[in-house]
Amino acid sequence: MTPEELRSVSITKSVDARGTACPGPLLEAKKAIGTIKVGEIMEVLSADEGTKVDIPKWCAKQGHEYLGTIEESGFFRIFLKKK
Amino acid sequence: MEQKKMCLGLFSGSVDKLTAAGIILSGAAALDMKVDIYVLLQGARAFRKDIGDDAGKLQMAENPALKDEFLESLKNLKVKTWVEFFKEAKEITDVKIHICGLAGKIWGAEKLDDFIGLTDDICGIGAYISSLEEADINLFI
Repeated sequence: MTPEELRSVSITKSVDARGTACPGPLLEAKKAIGTIKVGEIMEVLSADEGTKVDIPKWCAKQGHEYLGTIEESGFFRIFLKKK
Repeated sequence: MEQKKMCLGLFSGSVDKLTAAGIILSGAAALDMKVDIYVLLQGARAFRKDIGDDAGKLQMAENPALKDEFLESLKNLKVKTWVEFFKEAKEITDVKIHICGLAGKIWGAEKLDDFIGLTDDICGIGAYISSLEEADINLFI
């Protein structure tokens, strides 16, 4: 999805992992995905550069749909849909 | 999806390598892998109940002179301790921690109760080799 589309999607869960370094954001995402339903969208906020590579790979392995990343000032918003 | 299995031979009892093991373990947990950890020689000393997270009692494997800088940086970056990583991974996925019986004896720890509470059992080399053979991923740290 384009950054414009991502900004307008309806998010069920926002996980703020900006206070942690790797592997914190990945584990926060892992814990949070269990709290939303299939088809719902979650965003992960991370200030860790590695997370924007980790989350798409994790989604591919776990079968979730990675939707895209928006780069904000000093952090990333990484979007995924639970499958 | 078939659950993948990781087997980790944890020989090292140094704080830097234990931290690396904890981070790798977190990655395996995020992917719902089953993990078997075999704690060998030096590793068993770190798992002693009176040592564990007490970094003052652990060495660095790489460049001992950087220990203070390493620990200070981990703290500033809010990185968990190696024991916290292991504990969190156990809460997320199926992680079993097995202590080598001989290794425990070398460091004066013979009973399960002598080790930190995360430990599941004390075993011999046969169990480790069997697990190595069955695992999809094998690591030795």
